[in-house]
Amino acid sequence: MKNTILNKLANHQIPNSFKKIGGIIFFSSFILLVGNQLFFEKLNLSIIAKYGLLIGMFLWSISKEKIEDELILKLRMQSYTFAFLIVVIFTLLHPLMNFLVDFIIDDNKSNISDYGDFEILWLLLGSQLWFFEIQKRLHK
Amino acid sequence: MKNRLKIERAILDLTQEELAKKIGVSRQTINSIEKSKYIPSTSLALKLSKVFNKPVNDFFELDEEK
Repeated sequence: MKNTILNKLANHQIPNSFKKIGGIIFFSSFILLVGNQLFFEKLNLSIIAKYGLLIGMFLWSISKEKIEDELILKLRMQSYTFAFLIVVIFTLLHPLMNFLVDFIIDDNKSNISDYGDFEILWLLLGSQLWFFEIQKRLHK
Repeated sequence: MKNRLKIERAILDLTQEELAKKIGVSRQTINSIEKSKYIPSTSLALKLSKVFNKPVNDFFELDEEK
């Protein structure tokens, strides 16, 4: 069973201790982002904070569990599939939702706004982590 | 898929944690198998078979409807 694709993917994960590091980076970036909005607006640290959020979530996402067995591997794969579907559905529906909201609220502004890499990655990693944690709790 | 994992575990007087350690998985995995929330792989089923010293068919059974 050592040569299966799932096992190869699992071998590319980083040790469990990185989960804590990811969490620390995530929460400190979140505090920085909030602080930046409230106190240090002139310093414009929001880009650093946003990338800190993503890096924290990424480390959290690819770090191993304490016991990385086949159930965890299955849940992890399911969570990546779920996150992929969420991002695709959101990306496809976003322009339509924007158009409808603009149409209902103010029909003079038919501005279909776009969103960048940060929003997509945040949604991808956020939905993956959320689904994975929920699934783990359901199997406790 | 129905299973008799809990009964077999009780016969050997093993806790979920002890059984999990013997076959190298987490306690959650044993719990999920016992509650039929998760169907184990062939290799895990064979490891369980080795611990219980019984063929896999003795503690895993397909549902009649399926």
